[in-house]
Amino acid sequence: MKVLVFIKEVADTEARIIISSDQKDLEIENKYTVNFFDEFAVEEAIRIKESLKDVEITVCTFAPPRAVEALRTTIAMGADRAFLIDSRNHESDDPLIVSRILAGFAVKEGFDLILCGRQAMDDESANVGPMIAEFLKIPHVNQVTRLQVSGNGTAEVQNEIEGGKKVSEVLLPALLTTQKGLNEPRVPLITGVMKAMKTEIAVLDPAAIEIPFGSIDRETSKILVLSYELPAKRPSVSIIEGASPEEKATGLVRALKEEAKVL
Amino acid sequence: MTRDVFVFVECKDSVPRKASLELLSVGRQVASHFSSGLFAVVVGSGVKDAAQMVSGYADTTVLVDNESLADYGWDTYGSVLEGVLKKYEPMFLLGMSSMTGKDLFPRIAVRLQAAMISDAVGLDLEGEGIKIKKPLFGGKVISWLAPKADSMVIVTFRPNSFAVGNAGEKGPIVEEQFTAETNPGIKPISFEKTGSKKVDLQEADFIICGGRGMKAAEHFSMLDEIADLMGGRTGASRTVVDSKWREYDDQIGKSGKTVSPKLYIGCGLSGALHHIMGMDTSGVIVAINKDPNAPIFQYADYGIVDDLFAVLPALKDELKKTREDT
Repeated sequence: MKVLVFIKEVADTEARIIISSDQKDLEIENKYTVNFFDEFAVEEAIRIKESLKDVEITVCTFAPPRAVEALRTTIAMGADRAFLIDSRNHESDDPLIVSRILAGFAVKEGFDLILCGRQAMDDESANVGPMIAEFLKIPHVNQVTRLQVSGNGTAEVQNEIEGGKKVSEVLLPALLTTQKGLNEPRVPLITGVMKAMKTEIAVLDPAAIEIPFGSIDRETSKILVLSYELPAKRPSVSIIEGASPEEKATGLVRALKEEAKVL
Repeated sequence: MTRDVFVFVECKDSVPRKASLELLSVGRQVASHFSSGLFAVVVGSGVKDAAQMVSGYADTTVLVDNESLADYGWDTYGSVLEGVLKKYEPMFLLGMSSMTGKDLFPRIAVRLQAAMISDAVGLDLEGEGIKIKKPLFGGKVISWLAPKADSMVIVTFRPNSFAVGNAGEKGPIVEEQFTAETNPGIKPISFEKTGSKKVDLQEADFIICGGRGMKAAEHFSMLDEIADLMGGRTGASRTVVDSKWREYDDQIGKSGKTVSPKLYIGCGLSGALHHIMGMDTSGVIVAINKDPNAPIFQYADYGIVDDLFAVLPALKDELKKTREDT
């Protein structure tokens, strides 16, 4: 069984981000990490391999070459192979283009199951997973919180939907996006880290992948990034003073009512 | 292609969600700007009343009501919405950045080769164009995006991004028949309703959120009482959820939900960056913490430095009074 995992390397929460003076570019401090929700996808793939044995896990990302480090982390956890599709000369702001490229890779590699996080922490767009599924004409299930893959080409999946949790039987091949609660991602062992250091990670040129889903040229992008700016700053906090907690509570409610007018 | 604006109306228990009315209100501005029509799309089973309700906000309401749409699925709803969009060829489709929105619209965008911008919080209209405001990196940066004009544009917005306007004269309701196609690859087995929480966390106008300073699961009843009183919801920090004091469904922050209520009150929260990233677009932020140096005060509009266990009962009484006054 072939399991594909798509990951994204994202800026760490603590990374400093500087907006260029013309507001057209971002300079991100060199602190990157595997997207939080993608870690559940990698972990789940490893658990499937541990229970079903004959499973090959391939991890792939569309990113600049620095993301090789994120791929190494997934090898250290237990993935078998990793590929980086070089994004440097391509558009990555249009999810349709990113999805065409990753879906093209999936066709080239072949797969029984595709896993990826429910959304990326940097843009919170949550588009690429279901878009890849649509290009590949396979079903998808979002926000998976429990997964049981059987040996006979089906999986029992529990996921979060509006108002509750749903359990479904899904026919493979399918794409599942992973949600917190699915598992506890493992910390790589030192032997895994050693193996990851020695693993060669192939860097692919998107132009070299046959993509049957439409153009991936920059000109076909449907999204234009106009500018970046800092969010409006809040005025500094107004501390409600009072002789007792009761007085402070009274003062707060008065301020919310008369000043902020939110009550 | 027309220049019409379509709003996909999400319903909860057959009632249009508040955020859908927000979208119809902003959709009105977009339609006026482009001198085009505003359409509401209501899809489901037993949603005729919902269509009536939203028809006061739109020029035309397109209704697809049939039994096979009783439960949401991207396959069934997707085939119907695709049918509607291909028939009417609007320029814009506006929807919610909700669990349903994130499930449904990406597939629609592929089928219609539409420009897709998701999880936006605002827009700007000028000249021939539209600019979409979208936060990045948990709100550290705001980006402005523009769709290229040659294809349909799908934009999803976070709940509470716009005010709800007043309904006007009811426009006509056009009932359409589109077959709901089921994907053979997914067989539903069961559905378990989680909690009976009346208000969706992301749609709530009022949120009171507890952090590690709440000290124990049972103390959250104080927050629940205030949330109920205000018709809002209780939220929780990651530490609280990891300690199993509250469910993950309540978690606000980068690895939980992004919220933007009119009033947010944080109790016993230090204000870790990953939490701030999930709530800093809120209207008014209040922090209650006994540590005057807690980082949360850097993000708050109002602060109380005191023991929350002494402040909360008094706060509840005061809020009760204002509710009774009005």
